[in-house]
Amino acid sequence: MSLLQINNLNVRFGDANAVPVVDGLDLAVDAGEILAIVGESGSGKSVTMMALMGLIDAPGRITADTLSFDGTDMLKLSGRQRRKVVGKDIAMVFQDPMTALNPSYTVGFQIEEVLRQHLGLKGKAARQRALELLKKVEIPAAESRLDAYPHQLSGGMSQRVAIAMAIAGEPKLLIADEPTTALDVTIQAQIMELLVNLQKERNMALILITHDLAVVAETARRVCVMYAGQAVEVGQVPELFDVPAHPYSEALLAAIPEHSIGAERLATLPGIVPGRYDRPDGCLLSPRCPYVQDNCRHQRPPLDPQAHSLVRCFYPLNQEVA
Amino acid sequence: MTSPIPKSVTPASPVDRSLLYPSPYKEFWHAFSRNKGAVMGLAFMCLVVFCALFAPWVAPHDPSEQYRDFLLTPPVWLEGGTWQFILGTDELGRDLLSRLIQGARLSLLIGLSSVVMSLIPGILLGLLAGFFPHLLGPSIMRLMDVMLALPSLLLAVAIVAILGPGLINTVIAIAIVSLPSYVRLTRAAVMGELNRDYVTAARLAGAGLPRLMFVTVLPNCMAPLIVQATLSFSSAILDAAALGFLGLGVQPPTPEWGTMLASARDYIERAWWVVSLPGLTILLSVLAINLMGDGLRDALDPKLKNAA
Amino acid sequence: MAVVLCARELTRHYEVSRGLFKGHALVRALNGVSFELEAGKTLAVVGESGCGKSTLARALTLIEEPSSGSLQIAGTEVKGASKVERKQLRRDVQMVFQSPYASLNPRQKIGDQLAEPLLINTSLSKAERREKVQKMMEQVGLRPEHYQRYPHMFSGGQRQRIALARAMMLQPKVLVADEPTSALDVSIQAQVLNLFMDLQKEFNTAYVFISHNLAVVRHVADQVLVMYLGRPAEMGPKEDIYEKPLHPYTQALLSATPAIHPDPLKPKIRIAGELPNPLNPPDGCAFHKRCPYATERCAKEVPAFRQVGTRQVACHYAEQFL
Repeated sequence: MSLLQINNLNVRFGDANAVPVVDGLDLAVDAGEILAIVGESGSGKSVTMMALMGLIDAPGRITADTLSFDGTDMLKLSGRQRRKVVGKDIAMVFQDPMTALNPSYTVGFQIEEVLRQHLGLKGKAARQRALELLKKVEIPAAESRLDAYPHQLSGGMSQRVAIAMAIAGEPKLLIADEPTTALDVTIQAQIMELLVNLQKERNMALILITHDLAVVAETARRVCVMYAGQAVEVGQVPELFDVPAHPYSEALLAAIPEHSIGAERLATLPGIVPGRYDRPDGCLLSPRCPYVQDNCRHQRPPLDPQAHSLVRCFYPLNQEVA
Repeated sequence: MTSPIPKSVTPASPVDRSLLYPSPYKEFWHAFSRNKGAVMGLAFMCLVVFCALFAPWVAPHDPSEQYRDFLLTPPVWLEGGTWQFILGTDELGRDLLSRLIQGARLSLLIGLSSVVMSLIPGILLGLLAGFFPHLLGPSIMRLMDVMLALPSLLLAVAIVAILGPGLINTVIAIAIVSLPSYVRLTRAAVMGELNRDYVTAARLAGAGLPRLMFVTVLPNCMAPLIVQATLSFSSAILDAAALGFLGLGVQPPTPEWGTMLASARDYIERAWWVVSLPGLTILLSVLAINLMGDGLRDALDPKLKNAA
Repeated sequence: MAVVLCARELTRHYEVSRGLFKGHALVRALNGVSFELEAGKTLAVVGESGCGKSTLARALTLIEEPSSGSLQIAGTEVKGASKVERKQLRRDVQMVFQSPYASLNPRQKIGDQLAEPLLINTSLSKAERREKVQKMMEQVGLRPEHYQRYPHMFSGGQRQRIALARAMMLQPKVLVADEPTSALDVSIQAQVLNLFMDLQKEFNTAYVFISHNLAVVRHVADQVLVMYLGRPAEMGPKEDIYEKPLHPYTQALLSATPAIHPDPLKPKIRIAGELPNPLNPPDGCAFHKRCPYATERCAKEVPAFRQVGTRQVACHYAEQFL
């Protein structure tokens, strides 16, 4: 049984006829696994996780066949029950560390708040534990940092504090939403290594949401590529990058400068992601797909298993390669 | 890896989303009309403006004509009232409804002219303070601080006392009193916008100071100013009423809502309508303008945030 | 090929007050940067936050005067330029900014924004200006109807095209691009980078391309300048730097950059710590506290930026890595 099971998740903002931001998403994550969700803006990757955490307010509507975590049906939870799970068993690290921390309270206070809420620790025990957590995330001079305010910390430090707060509740699942996008390259490498080490040590499941395919290649085991609210390909990491089956995955890989070393131009897909007004009837990529056929424009392809991965395409690529 | 991906630069989106956007005015109206209070306020103010513009034709009687036989007639729904004078008459036999309608002219005139008289210098001073924060900023802001330290009504009274009572001096006094808030708002908005990339881009294009001030930065500071202008319209009416009540503003027999209040002070017990009706009119107008101001702020502010 | 941009020992210091009772501190944001750039070529400036690349951008675009050093644009010395010369200099260097959302005036139609440089600097008639604007819009992939639209109606990629069009309206000799594609999705980035290269070929403009993304830099640059804490660390032809980086910081940067197909032979260099405080830079080499090869000499002596083979390096032991 998977730790996290999502079936047919739909998220709409507005009434039942509004265009879905997440459209029939199926996802499963096992305990201790690293899954990366990759997509560009408008793909719905962040909204999916917010829906899981219950962070979507009206007019957002969430419907799903299954949205269960560790056996609990997340859709049926009341606010109070959800607060017991979110922050403790499921934790999240956000993109911008400078705004993720409350500027009016010290770092120590914020970590202790998590400990108090989810583990019932108070006073000296909480402070001791907070110190341990800071040391765990490799913050130098941790003792003095407990009383520091967020604005006194750099971006990399703040993100480490955010990670400490996330793992304070000993979560079974950690969701990292673009955790290193706002950081410098060398700090990014440090933070990614930290996340992977923590994950291994605690056997946490880690969902890494990012638009950076290179980070995925170095970190994750499985990857889910999202486009315009749908999952278009789900596969294992080296295989998906070596032999992408969906045209969008291929285009994403082709657009990375790394793949065009020495070439004059970067390969691109014309057009942009469909929005509210121009959602195609058929396959969502059909207006831009270089391999498009007639029936692609009129029918929506289902997510089917292929040689290496699940692919949402009538004519998946690279299937003859064993 | 096969690469039939066409190497074109043009984004060939089938439906160009940018063309589906309504014009800025339609967007604004759409956002504004969602606030029911604001729309009602707008409707009431339209009525007031209509009365002000067409007062001589709308008013049933001449506002200064005194009907000696009908002193202190009650409004039509009370005993002793008559349809000839729908809202009754005052202590000199003048029709209250006509005076209120005529008074709308004066109140709107006072509101509009005081706002314009303080908005223009206020914006200029704010721009200067924002663009020259070390040279001119401190002196301008200290002056504004001094003005803000004095209670506005007392300051207005002092100015009118120096200049003498009357309509024009009332307007000048109110304009001076509302100046500091415009200067502060403009300066704050300007300082916020000066750091933005598009201002740097305009500098790089070679824009000189006047262009930077009025074409590049000022249009982006208008939203809070428009809201403030609407709100000070209503406080101008209140200030004029207060000055009139104190006998320092518009002088009788000119029908101005505040002066009407003042001259009817003694008749509160005998003929409450002479006092209450002008008071009610002031209340409704101020309320309407404030509701409109709220609606304006809600409609304009999100645009400001989105555009960032 | 003509040299259009020549910088010699560009330096920029700021005085920062440290509160009521402490004295002023000197921040050496830029400390002796020199380079030459030919028409039609691209110099990429690479570094992390705090390295001085934004300060360099501001100095090159004449927004700020350097504290010392000389800058020549198209042969004209910037310091002491006459009013007429200044006007011409203003036309010769333009800039594209990082954020597509902040670099366009929200209250001005984009057609007017594109026409503004012509309005200020030339004496063309209204019709002539409009014609030029339409031509440029077509070149960057915008439609004629877009003239009347406001910036918030466009996507991030389209806004960067508009920003690029505006910068090129006067056909400047030098274009400074400050992280122009960092805020864009991968596929949009590819489109915009292609546009950059096309326009460079068309107008023979020299580019100063500032970025922290080494993959993008590899695609666009001819020369690469790596900066650390306001000083140049290494500068040379692109392929030499990527094949065999000589400065330990360059090595660390390249190693920290994630890759889809990581080279298993290249060792992973992970440097610890963070950028030193610019108010209190270390003695000797600015990098020595984090450098895996640091010696006593590095802690005492500031390395000179000297010629080693085809490039210049600021390291005492650069020859070791050849």
